[in-house]
Amino acid sequence: MPDRFTGLLARFAGELRAAGLAVGSGDVLVYCSALSQLDPADLVDLYWAGRTTLVNRHDDIARYDEVFRRFFLGAESQDDELTLMLRASLAAQGALAIPSVEPGDPGEEDDAVLGWMASDVDALKHKSFGACTPEELAVLRRIMARIRLTPPRRRTRRSAPATSGPRPDPRRTVRESMRMHGEPARLYWRRRKVRLRPLILILDISGSMADYSRSLLQFAHSAKRSAGRVEVFCFGTRLTRVTGAMECRRPDEALERAARATFDWDGGTRIGDSLDAFVRGWARAGLCRGGIVVVCSDGLDRGDPAVLAAAMEQLARLSHRLVWLNPHKGDDPAFRPSTLGMMIAAPHIDLLLSGHDLASLEKLAALLPGLN
Amino acid sequence: MESPGTVGELTETLRQGGYLADRGLATALFVALSLNRPILLEGEVGVGKTEVAKVMASVFGRKLIRLQCYEGIDTNQALYEWDYARQMLHIRALSERQLAGPDASDAVDKLFGPKFLLERPLLEAVRAGDQAVLLIDEIDRADDEFEAFLLEVLSDFQISIPEIGTVKAERPPLVVLTSNRTRELHDALKRRCLYHWIGYPAAEREVEIVLIREPGVSAALARKVVTAVHRLRELDLAKPPGVAETIDWARTLDFLGATDLDAGHANDTLGAVVKDRDDLEVVRDNLQEITSGA
Repeated sequence: MPDRFTGLLARFAGELRAAGLAVGSGDVLVYCSALSQLDPADLVDLYWAGRTTLVNRHDDIARYDEVFRRFFLGAESQDDELTLMLRASLAAQGALAIPSVEPGDPGEEDDAVLGWMASDVDALKHKSFGACTPEELAVLRRIMARIRLTPPRRRTRRSAPATSGPRPDPRRTVRESMRMHGEPARLYWRRRKVRLRPLILILDISGSMADYSRSLLQFAHSAKRSAGRVEVFCFGTRLTRVTGAMECRRPDEALERAARATFDWDGGTRIGDSLDAFVRGWARAGLCRGGIVVVCSDGLDRGDPAVLAAAMEQLARLSHRLVWLNPHKGDDPAFRPSTLGMMIAAPHIDLLLSGHDLASLEKLAALLPGLN
Repeated sequence: MESPGTVGELTETLRQGGYLADRGLATALFVALSLNRPILLEGEVGVGKTEVAKVMASVFGRKLIRLQCYEGIDTNQALYEWDYARQMLHIRALSERQLAGPDASDAVDKLFGPKFLLERPLLEAVRAGDQAVLLIDEIDRADDEFEAFLLEVLSDFQISIPEIGTVKAERPPLVVLTSNRTRELHDALKRRCLYHWIGYPAAEREVEIVLIREPGVSAALARKVVTAVHRLRELDLAKPPGVAETIDWARTLDFLGATDLDAGHANDTLGAVVKDRDDLEVVRDNLQEITSGA
């Protein structure tokens, strides 16, 4: 392969990196050696070799396609001679079907100014967590970091040596019996290990919950730091997974990243549709199997009640325990759900708490280990 | 069989094995074979991820070694294990014959010899080298500790057994990993692998797939079944039917002697393609529309 061509491939990898794909130099090496096995002048090979070596998650494929189209087929390609050669081969080859950029690409809507709209409209805007005063954040962070969440445990299939137990440990018994001339003098035992159940937080960030959602995300962040496997989702009119954003060590940055990932901050609510999306996209695939699902919402749903009912029923079946936090419950022990959404959800809920202040979040943390 | 020289050759070989691979999949497999890299396949349920490995094994005359992952899988089930029961019996037998002297140490060495070693898939694959296709199925079901361990094996294809020594593959086997995306795999593992996403095939290709897998089915029936399945996929079902379901459905209809797909036949055989109670209700309501037209 000519050196000039390798340079072109490296520039392409650079473009991909600029578009946010994690492309290491090792990946570029593999890309180049893959192409040395294929026909580098063939645009189709160029496309597929790159897709199989430089992309390693499904969500990145759209961005790869976009960069590929811009880089190799776009008007602004730098290396005229090479791209001309490539395009000629494309014409000879027939067509290369790269799916077009999906409609509703957020980039195109950046400059659309959306003000307060009817509750059902996707409020496509970023709302900064910076609006919250630094002192307020600092106090919250200190207190939240104190809460240690320990989800209940479950037994795993793996076992570990134990002083007594239901299963013998043949490996250890034989090893020890070697010392006794092959006489198994003592039986050793194994016991099943225990593991924390996964914890899934699904947070309502719609307008009616705006006062609580910020502190809830803070709570989610400290939960993610303290418990084992925690997944965090946000929803208003649609569901967004923010687990990745919560990986950040610094709470401010984590919250800011979550806000950027979520488009419908402070908008309307579609609990039914969002939970339905969760059930279809994640729960069915096994995300919350054997886990504790914590939904935090006031139950003010603008969608179809039947969808919510079906989604709640399935969610209750797919998870181990279902906890609902409703800030409107407050400290009132005789609270009766008044919103339609809450009434529909009530039969499927294992535990209903308020979550409107720190004391109630601490109560959740205290009750969690007992949900076995 | 020899390794293929071009992507086209590989596609043709796979077709003869009864698998229709598109350009992307064929390229990925070709690169995996030539560069000796593991390939990670992700995609919807029932689009033929596992099938790829089976067909690759059969067309290249390699041995298929399958490691089915599940939660809690550990090294004993993946690598090797000593056959303790046999060792015990052997020790008993030895002590009854009162062996002593130079024979004894020899006998003890034999205790940890190949005779008492139970090979599990990974060791088997490393031993077989390029005579094998190693299928690591549903890797997303295993715990992440197992993933880290797998990383080690996949990077140098060498396994150390303290009692015997190190086993190394001269030429690594073709490794196919599949994942249903119930969780995101570690980047380190993904970086070691080529990646390919298998989506649902286009209608014409799916008809071809049905015909190649079930040669007894008439082309007209296959076309109708595929059209109906494509409508089902648009229906927003909880579990949309995969290609495997399409093939199953065509086979079921053919077995029952149906030559055409009408609402009646579809209703009787719906269990072959829709496998969720809530989905069944949705589909039954729209049955006429799904089966009508070509």
